[in-house]
Amino acid sequence: MIRDALAALRARRGRTVLAALGVLAASLVVGTSVTVGYSLATGFERSAERAQLPDVIARFPEQRLRRIDARVSALPNLETRSYRFEALNEDVSGNGHYTGKGAVTTVFEGRRGYTVVDGRDVRDGESGAVVVERGVAREWDLHVGDELSVEEHGTLRVSGIAVSPDNVAFPLASTARVYVSRAEHGGRVRPNVALLWLNDPDKADVTLAQARAVTFGLGKLQFITRTGVEILLSQAAGIVISLLVAFSLVALVAAGTMLAASAHAEVQRRLTGLGVQRALGFGPGRIAAQQAVEATLLAVPAAALGITLGALLVARPAAELLAALNELGPGPTGIAVPLVLSTAGVVALVVAAATWPAWRAARRPPIEILRGGDLARKPRGRARRRGESSGPLGHKSHPNEPAGRGSGLFALGVRFATAARGRWFAAVATIAVCAGVVTLMLALASLLERLREDPGTVGKRYQLAVQLDPSLIPDAERLPGVRDVGERYSIDAADSFRLGEPIRLVAYPGDHTRFENPPLAEGRRIQRPNEVEVGVGMADALGLKPGSTLAAQIPDGGEIRFKVAGIVRALENDGRIAWIQPDKLLATRPDLNPQVVVRLDSNSNAAAVTEGLVELGAELQPVGAAQTDNAAFLAVLAAVLRGVGLAVGLVCLYALVQALTVTARERRGAVALLRATGADAPTVGLVLAGAAVAVAVPAAIAGVVLELAIFGPAVSRLAASFASLPLGASVGQIALVIGGLLLLAALATLLVARRVMREPIIAGLREE
Amino acid sequence: MAAVIAATGVVKSFGEGRAARRVLDGASLHVHPGEVVAILGRSGTGKSTMLHLVGGLDRPDAGTISVAGEPVTGTSERALSRLRRRRIGFVFQFFHLLPELSGEANVLLAGRVRGAAPDAAARGQDLIDRLGLREVARSLPHQLSGGEQQRFAIARALVNDPPVLLADEPTGNLDTTAGAEVLRLLRAGAEEGRAVVMVTHETAAANIADRVLTLRDGQLIG
Repeated sequence: MIRDALAALRARRGRTVLAALGVLAASLVVGTSVTVGYSLATGFERSAERAQLPDVIARFPEQRLRRIDARVSALPNLETRSYRFEALNEDVSGNGHYTGKGAVTTVFEGRRGYTVVDGRDVRDGESGAVVVERGVAREWDLHVGDELSVEEHGTLRVSGIAVSPDNVAFPLASTARVYVSRAEHGGRVRPNVALLWLNDPDKADVTLAQARAVTFGLGKLQFITRTGVEILLSQAAGIVISLLVAFSLVALVAAGTMLAASAHAEVQRRLTGLGVQRALGFGPGRIAAQQAVEATLLAVPAAALGITLGALLVARPAAELLAALNELGPGPTGIAVPLVLSTAGVVALVVAAATWPAWRAARRPPIEILRGGDLARKPRGRARRRGESSGPLGHKSHPNEPAGRGSGLFALGVRFATAARGRWFAAVATIAVCAGVVTLMLALASLLERLREDPGTVGKRYQLAVQLDPSLIPDAERLPGVRDVGERYSIDAADSFRLGEPIRLVAYPGDHTRFENPPLAEGRRIQRPNEVEVGVGMADALGLKPGSTLAAQIPDGGEIRFKVAGIVRALENDGRIAWIQPDKLLATRPDLNPQVVVRLDSNSNAAAVTEGLVELGAELQPVGAAQTDNAAFLAVLAAVLRGVGLAVGLVCLYALVQALTVTARERRGAVALLRATGADAPTVGLVLAGAAVAVAVPAAIAGVVLELAIFGPAVSRLAASFASLPLGASVGQIALVIGGLLLLAALATLLVARRVMREPIIAGLREE
Repeated sequence: MAAVIAATGVVKSFGEGRAARRVLDGASLHVHPGEVVAILGRSGTGKSTMLHLVGGLDRPDAGTISVAGEPVTGTSERALSRLRRRRIGFVFQFFHLLPELSGEANVLLAGRVRGAAPDAAARGQDLIDRLGLREVARSLPHQLSGGEQQRFAIARALVNDPPVLLADEPTGNLDTTAGAEVLRLLRAGAEEGRAVVMVTHETAAANIADRVLTLRDGQLIG
């Protein structure tokens, strides 16, 4: 059977090559998506394992090693620990580059919490050597053996390059991290960071609560858990992964539909051959099996090649993205398993798409197959008979009555496209998913830009923030264009019951919704000083609901408690944010200084107001959106998303051309007949335009509905379950997608019409 | 009277290399208005090919063809479309009615083509009445008998009032009664001043012809 299949493939070499190219193109997309998606999805865990990232990182003011170790070693659930001294804002320079934001980490004995990816680690007691974070090495083009100048330590030689996934990489993170040994300080250095590895990481809360208790008095104690690090790092990548998975699925659905449609048309073309085979005694099973073998022989090399090429194509960009996140790639062996599984999936899809129509056709009686005819299902129910019903004016009504004169040929095209309902539906579904993804890409790219620049996306209603003597607030209120001015307090704290959970408290005297108005998800707004509105992210993490108690540990303060009045959808700080009135906060931290926030009239001149504020002595501060710190990264992501949108648009065009080609090929006889009656290229184009519009218009509508009802909410939930990401497409974006799709339909019509007009009329008439 | 169809020295070959076969080898055909010409010949002798070349559906390797004074050979595809639209009507053995359109819509389809005669729709309705098809005008092709389908096909061929009617085995798929009716209609078409060329291998069909030509060895013999 394999020999027969090979001979059959060789006999129609041109078609075989075309089909293989189609499989290869679809596999290429799958390969790229799987490589990037898998690398990103597993990046943190892989890197954390390699780097032996601790379960808890505790930061505190410098302490004597013996004193801090006595307390730490007594903690429950502790497997092991090590210490560091971290000096921030140090001058670091090398290879012509300089930063004043160096983080010089002195490592003590024990586990490091980073992995050396090139060269070697600094040895305990070794001086003159430094390990450089990979981000710094890449950005400054540093290699093992190069020299690096580090404040206080002078010139050091780079002994190794390291990766630690507890933060994003330089320059995405502004600090340039380097690691030196204690010998650089002559052994006289006291730690300010403790790395803790736990026996049972799930019980980190117990350890943290105990740590809080035994280290009471240390002051400025900050904890971050491994889970917390992962949440922070995966936030941006999470969106990318969701999109890539969606894109991969779209590519698979599109490729599957195209392959199925092509296989259907191929079977239609070979119907006579199948009929002869059946007449000679071949069973439907044997015919389907032969088809399956042929498809397998074609799909295996094409899919393997496509997926390998796709993986190679994105290996470097994926590595760059991982490097920016301070994560390690899976390596050739790590990525091999998902790629092999993807290849198997593509082959299975191709084989099913090719075998099913052959099986369907071969089950019909041989004589019926030999007689030819469309594979499309015949009308269901009782056959319509002449004179069955009468309409007004004595005309017999008919369900298939053609449209009026003006729309005759266009409507004929619509009928051609919708005649094979299953395939029409598949084509509409494919293009609808593509259109939905494109709409989503546009909405997401806009959102990323707004997250970077527009404080309104996180519910902020003020436009300016300044440092200003609160006694000057009435003067600020009198400035033209100013609508409202108020004090805003903000402090990062920790939940008293689960110390690994960082929370941000924001306080306004009076009604905070004048300046920040995150949508209320549950409960009500705060009305009293002992009440709090918490973000969904925090509520989910801490199990809070209206009526619960939130206990917050304030740095250098005590514990303050609030009753949860409402849950709000907040995007800032991963939703780990709460709004309160400042009374309790100021009681425990009277030294806290407020920002002064300014809300402008809708048509006011921000520059003029700023000038007025500066004249009052105000010092301007940036008004943060959700991701202001990662502005450059978000800009890159927005560009990537638009690029992916364009690629999906091309898939749309391919799907439209494919759907039209199959329709034109199946209705070759009808088109030939039209040409025989004198139809010229524009007339044939009109018929094909009808067929294209019959697919494109419902697909565009369904695509927009998909985005608004499913994709947008789903991606929003996946990327940021703690907030309502405004991922609904704007009217302009919807118009762009629908217009674009109609333009693609016109382009597809033009391409297919040109091809159809080149075919001999006689050949088409013979097929009919 | 000038011939409405004038084909001279037409050559057409199919296949390549050793498989190459010259089916028409200098064939000539001249048909006058109101004349019915039947072309007979065994299967595969090139009867249909001759008809396709005259109708501008295919291009000859050599020779000249003109229809109603307009050149068929050496002209653009656009000009050929215009020629087929206004000067030529085709009737095929297998009717070639579009299955999703009613008989009436199939007739009117030829009138909807860009550049069709302005009165094509009215003529189509008139033809449906004259050919006795009103009763079944709204039926789909698969609900019609072979004779009815072929009568709709003839109506479609005449909807733009062409001076030339080309019929390729018009009775080949019909029973005797239906075949006779179709032949009568073709004869009636000629009596309205059209030149009718009919390819057939049925001698009965040839009986209505004014002239019978036989295609043999690539040549039309009178």
